[in-house]
Amino acid sequence: MPLWFARGLRRGVVTTRYPARPDGSAVALPTPPAFRPLLLTREIVDRMIAQCPGTALSRAADTLVFDAGSCTACGRCARVAPHAVTPSGEFELAATTRSALIKMVPILGERR
Amino acid sequence: MTPGPDEATTAERLRAQIAAQFGRSLHIRTLDTGSCAVCEQEIRLLSAPHYDLHRLGFFFTPAPRHADLLLVAGPMVRAFEVAARKAYEAMPGPKVVVATGACALGGVYQADPFMHGEVEAVLPVDVWIPGCPPSPLALLHGLSVAVGRLAEKVPGLAFVADENGGGA
Repeated sequence: MPLWFARGLRRGVVTTRYPARPDGSAVALPTPPAFRPLLLTREIVDRMIAQCPGTALSRAADTLVFDAGSCTACGRCARVAPHAVTPSGEFELAATTRSALIKMVPILGERR
Repeated sequence: MTPGPDEATTAERLRAQIAAQFGRSLHIRTLDTGSCAVCEQEIRLLSAPHYDLHRLGFFFTPAPRHADLLLVAGPMVRAFEVAARKAYEAMPGPKVVVATGACALGGVYQADPFMHGEVEAVLPVDVWIPGCPPSPLALLHGLSVAVGRLAEKVPGLAFVADENGGGA
């Protein structure tokens, strides 16, 4: 039983305090990936792009272009390279410009 | 692009205006433009006791004429274009359009003869809420951003994990 539910039953209150206070259930949400640039190579990135079911990932030379707006947090890229991709834990992703959701991640693994 | 001092003061004034106009109560009309209905399911959960969005002054309304905010989900199927435009035009100003979910943001479907693939192709979008589906918490955050109660967080995120395995 989730903790908030048990606590809510005891107090008679189940409503979250979010956004005034963080909500405990947020840790269980699937979240977009965060990348480790030093462990990314072009080859790994291309394999991740091939696995991405949407248009969230693309590559421009030595940069991984990650569109957080297109990401469905399915975790397929993390399955390709579990060491280089971890869940970001960010769910508060609302943006007032579309371009703010497009992130450039450098690919630094080739340099070693 | 960094805004100049004039633009910064204008933005601040607009933000105060939005907060004054939408800060107390906001009526939301939801629009499904061909989504798989999971976004709707999450939107529905906002009215459930755990999220209870009425405590924040947000309300759902069935009529676009009563709505301040259009919450659009789905990849904007072309068959829905006329209805979407009519709903938008029926809303009184000032109005806000929020695109909800990866389909609405153009991440899942490409433009083809059946769909536009993103909401922005038809309606002027003000706030984008990513997620597949966006959780009710993400929707609450997005609605708060839309009315200027919370600042957006995304411009500061890099989606790069540090070597210790920390988040973005």
